[in-house]
Amino acid sequence: MKAFQASALAALFAAAAITGVRAADPIKIGVVTPLSGTYAGIGQQVRWGLDLAAKEVNAAGGIMGRPIELLYEDEEANPAVAVQKAEKLFEVAKVDFLTGTVSSGSTLAVGQLAERAGKLIATTVSFADSITGDRCSPNVFRVNARAGQQSAALAVWLSKEKPQAKVFYLGPDYEMGRSTVAAFKSSAEKVGASTVGEVFAPLDAKDYTQYFGQVRAARPQVLYTSVAGNDTVRLLSQMQEFGLLTNLTLVGASDTVTSQNISAIGKAAEGFVTGVGYSTEINSPENKKFVDAFKAAYKADPDLYGADSYGLIYAYKAAVEKAKSTDTDKVREALRGLKWMTPQGEKTIRAGDHQAIQTMYVVRITNGQFNIGGQVSGEDAVGPDACTRF
Amino acid sequence: MAEVLDYIQFVLAPQVVTGLAFGVAVILVAIGLTIIFGLLDVINMSHGEFYAFGAFAALALGWLGIPFWLLLVLVPLAMLPVGYAVERVLIQRVFNRPDRHVTTLLLTFGLGLVLEDVFRLGFGPNPYRPETPIPGAVVLFGIFLPNYRLFLIVVGALVIAAVALVVYRTRLGAMVRAAAFDRNMAASLGVPVAWVYAGAFAFGISLAGFAGVLLAPIYSVFPTMGRDFILMAFTVVIVGGMGSIAGAVVAGLFLTQVQAIASLYISPVWTDPIVFGIMVVMLMVRPQGLFGRLGYA
Repeated sequence: MKAFQASALAALFAAAAITGVRAADPIKIGVVTPLSGTYAGIGQQVRWGLDLAAKEVNAAGGIMGRPIELLYEDEEANPAVAVQKAEKLFEVAKVDFLTGTVSSGSTLAVGQLAERAGKLIATTVSFADSITGDRCSPNVFRVNARAGQQSAALAVWLSKEKPQAKVFYLGPDYEMGRSTVAAFKSSAEKVGASTVGEVFAPLDAKDYTQYFGQVRAARPQVLYTSVAGNDTVRLLSQMQEFGLLTNLTLVGASDTVTSQNISAIGKAAEGFVTGVGYSTEINSPENKKFVDAFKAAYKADPDLYGADSYGLIYAYKAAVEKAKSTDTDKVREALRGLKWMTPQGEKTIRAGDHQAIQTMYVVRITNGQFNIGGQVSGEDAVGPDACTRF
Repeated sequence: MAEVLDYIQFVLAPQVVTGLAFGVAVILVAIGLTIIFGLLDVINMSHGEFYAFGAFAALALGWLGIPFWLLLVLVPLAMLPVGYAVERVLIQRVFNRPDRHVTTLLLTFGLGLVLEDVFRLGFGPNPYRPETPIPGAVVLFGIFLPNYRLFLIVVGALVIAAVALVVYRTRLGAMVRAAAFDRNMAASLGVPVAWVYAGAFAFGISLAGFAGVLLAPIYSVFPTMGRDFILMAFTVVIVGGMGSIAGAVVAGLFLTQVQAIASLYISPVWTDPIVFGIMVVMLMVRPQGLFGRLGYA
């Protein structure tokens, strides 16, 4: 035993001595992500995904022989804190690259800071279309699917399953609710669906039954909703109670039904369909390998945040190796148009707006489980390039 | 003509009926509030959390296998000693200060926050939904009505009638009204005022708990559920007259119908301002409310 330890130690020193010659300085990647507060669960997935990918890359020799070092800071899902922590990572820790921001507000704020600091950032979580749309930045990339891709995927699926569907919209009455409904409505109408009515209920509405008269009178075939959390529990269980779910296809935003509220919704969630960028059910060797490694390391299933964060490390590795440098301008050029493999399959970063194009999945709930009900090609889902800054 | 009938059958009538079910729910919460306010002159800010207390108690006991029908009786009974203890141990400590309204309001507000966090610690932030004890639905005159909502309207109306009967028609009710009208005179005539106060508080809490059990299958159970009804219940109490049971019933039915029908024609978000606007107008024109205080009418 002693002898084994001694030889292991010797081997370690030898290894360190060999690599230590050229690759003493690691490539530093800053991660500003919520590790506490409401979004701590998302931050945890981000961290697990990045850690796993970094471990794999380092075990295989790092990026151009240099190991990846991840430096974490807690942004508390607060844009002001995120900017402060990002500044610290850029100025004091001198990170080469930065990622991790969850809320779209944090991503936009840190993106502006990155422009001033002359560094690149990427988000693996934020959904807001504007990040790679009208508020795009030459220093900001997004490797996850944005809200528009999710609703476009769902609309394409709908046009195949229920051509010329009559759709009723029910959203929560605030910015996010109205914009998700508007986005899906325009996607759905483009592929032939017609609108028979829409209603916006206050956030945290107690009772949705008062809107059921309008729903019933409109006689829709499909109901789209973007309520979330406990509002979904009430809406769907009350619809079930009033017999509205029979002969109605229920579709919605990706955060309408989640692992957090599905057990409370119970049977009323059956048949709900949404568009997402990732599911553990994706049947590919890359995804199987990823899910197995993730479960073995963290005793938990990855979700889309974990998968997209994992994929980002490989995108950065590919870009740095292509650029043969960590220089901002060279890596930016390398990331533009980059194709690389992720658990979801091959993704491409569109040069025009820095948005990743990926296959989108349509997920349907059957027997309380999220099952893949179809997929939509990346080009069909991504939508036009709305970025005019570069 | 067919269109008009269609509109009445599919839109207007269901709206009125589901509005009625919601009205009964609001009245159940408001009656406890109005009794506590009318008698003790205490604004119970934690009333919503006691409503949640009842729902969580029913949830936990339901897990132990106790059937819903038993819980409907058991939970309100179990909450009587809780309410009694809160009144004797907490409220009486600050009750006799000159700034009673402020101190009791702050005390019950704090108690509500504590209870909410206790629910969060014990049950987590995610919602639960007990299965509906009576599934299925009936069609009455072409109006689709779930059985459980029908049950809610009937049972709620019976409980409200029973409460009114006790307060206005029994000796116990007379003692309560006497204590509300003139505490010292009632005490000198042999009414055990301290007991009446704590008992009335416990009764109000118990009613909130009853509403919690009854409404859990419809509105689901989660730590912040207490906030849902409290604003509407306060509005009902103010419009109906603080302490008046008849006022709570009339105002409760009126305001929920206004809300239900208004949401057909304007954005539902605007129904809350309409309801609160009615409250503001009421406070300006007739501050004592529709029916005036308990013990005075």
